[in-house]
Amino acid sequence: MGQYILRRILYWIPALLLLALSVYAMAFFGAGDPIKLMFLREEGDVTYDAQRLDAIRREKGLDRPFLVQFGEYTWHLVQGDLGMSVISGRSVNDMIGATAPVSFQIGLATVILVALLGIPLGIIAGLNHNNWVDNSILGSALFISGIPSYVVGPMLMVFLVLGLGIMKTTPYGWEGLFSKKAILPMFVMVFGSIAIIIRQTRSGVLEVLSEDYVRTARAKGVPEFMVIVRHMLRPVLTPVVTVLGQMLIGIVNGAIIVEKIFGIPGLGRLTIDFTYGVDYPVIVAITLIGAFLVMALNLLVDITYPLLDPRAAQAMTGVEE
Amino acid sequence: MTTQEIAPTDDFGIAEASRTNLWKDAVARLAANKLAVIGIIPIILLFFIAIFGPYLTPYDFLAQDFTARLAAPSSEHWLGTDELGRDVFSRILYGARTAVAVGLVSTAISLIVGLIMGSLAGYLGGRVDMLVVWLTDMTRSMPALLLAIVINLTLKVPLEAWMEQMYLATKNGFFRQTMWVDLVLVFGALALIQWPGYARLIRGQILSIRSRNYVLAARALGMPTGRILTRYVIPNAMGPLIVAVSAGLGGAMVLESAFSFLGVGVQLPIPSWGKMISDGLRMWQTHPYLLAGPAVMMAIITVSFAWLGDGLNDALNPRQWGG
Repeated sequence: MGQYILRRILYWIPALLLLALSVYAMAFFGAGDPIKLMFLREEGDVTYDAQRLDAIRREKGLDRPFLVQFGEYTWHLVQGDLGMSVISGRSVNDMIGATAPVSFQIGLATVILVALLGIPLGIIAGLNHNNWVDNSILGSALFISGIPSYVVGPMLMVFLVLGLGIMKTTPYGWEGLFSKKAILPMFVMVFGSIAIIIRQTRSGVLEVLSEDYVRTARAKGVPEFMVIVRHMLRPVLTPVVTVLGQMLIGIVNGAIIVEKIFGIPGLGRLTIDFTYGVDYPVIVAITLIGAFLVMALNLLVDITYPLLDPRAAQAMTGVEE
Repeated sequence: MTTQEIAPTDDFGIAEASRTNLWKDAVARLAANKLAVIGIIPIILLFFIAIFGPYLTPYDFLAQDFTARLAAPSSEHWLGTDELGRDVFSRILYGARTAVAVGLVSTAISLIVGLIMGSLAGYLGGRVDMLVVWLTDMTRSMPALLLAIVINLTLKVPLEAWMEQMYLATKNGFFRQTMWVDLVLVFGALALIQWPGYARLIRGQILSIRSRNYVLAARALGMPTGRILTRYVIPNAMGPLIVAVSAGLGGAMVLESAFSFLGVGVQLPIPSWGKMISDGLRMWQTHPYLLAGPAVMMAIITVSFAWLGDGLNDALNPRQWGG
């Protein structure tokens, strides 16, 4: 097990380095000059002269060749330093430190709520296979999840504020996970991804229902609730955990959009604000964090899997997906 | 001699009968699924609008009516006008073009790339397989929107500079239309996001079908590879692929609008629903219909694709049925 984890983590290093290199190169050779862009944006295109730009570039070490800069960046990166933002001059570590907790809270809360709501709903739907309960749960989940978050969010705002008059103003900004302002963003996030879990749980229940051990348990007179908890939950949950893992990329994507709609100061907002200024330390840092998160969470899913399904423990070493 | 004569015709007859039954069954199952049938209607309508939209719109999507800026919905402007006095209804119809064009082209590109990479990985195996799997894992571990933002913002400037250079060198007016840069970037980003899904699906299909007993039997009987491919591998792989393409089409349209929503999509003047939504979001409290039109349209289309995809999945992959 320990060896397996170590091997997986070792496998991340070339992946992350390659990603850092390609994003850095794309920003360096492609995006244009961050200093020039900064001047263009802040003072208009009249005031900058080449000498001043050169001076700033030298001061920030941006006049050196690509490999030197990238080497230095990587060296700092290995030590846990994500560098300095070219535009704001602040440490990227601080910027990430200020925004990441907000995004993580949203992401974590989404996963927990999706699991807490989605799994019971999926079980109910599965037990009521093809009657109106099943149809309405699955139909409405597919309906809401089918609509992209950048449509649900604004439409909910129009509906709640202008249509029903329940809310007085727009929920804009962030005051912590348990404030009223978090309700709408969380709603959009949770219902954006709940259908996958409901469907997976439902089809798992349908599969297990016809198993002999479920029939035996029922024949023995085990109460229905205990049949569900003791005999059905575990085989049903195993694939659900995998699907929860696959949802994570969707959650990161959703967070970028939800943060934009509701003006939440998280990683997504940081991405949008700073990529327009071609601030490459920030861009590379955010892409690395995004990729790292996805890989780490995938590993976590793969480790949890054999705990739920002993058969997977044997097959784990050397099997992909 | 007689056996030789009978064998091919008999064989042919069975193959024909079973093939038509497979698709007939699928169509029957799809038609029995009410949600899927409901979902098909808006999608057909969308394609119709995308093709004939310009002949249906009451106004040009760029035509400005300064006397009626930000007008509320009326008989003249069915869904009102935006801040430049452009008819929202016409813009939505034109937006269907953007959505369909981007969806079709990017799905086609990623499908071709996925087909090539997936079949290379599935057939050659070994190092090639490992490389393709690693590449797809890498791409899939990147959040799609982040990838799109980075690609768009970093490659746009040099591409535009290159276009300008080409224009100066060739004096060809084509290179002056920066719209193409946007389209190339959006298609590129979408293809980059979507090809790994197709590649993995095709690789998996090839690996699983190739080890099935009927393929083994056909090979043992000396059936040529081409025949095995057309008779067994392709028909069996088709079902999951159709489901994936249907989902991919809807997904590409959603992503295209998401790009536009975040400001990295196709830039105006071509209307895009995502852009219209993000523009409408700026004054949703005073002029909610600017937002509502494209948002409702987007909602209908995406839900239709979800329902159709679900129905197709049930119809074409009957083995996945539970219970």
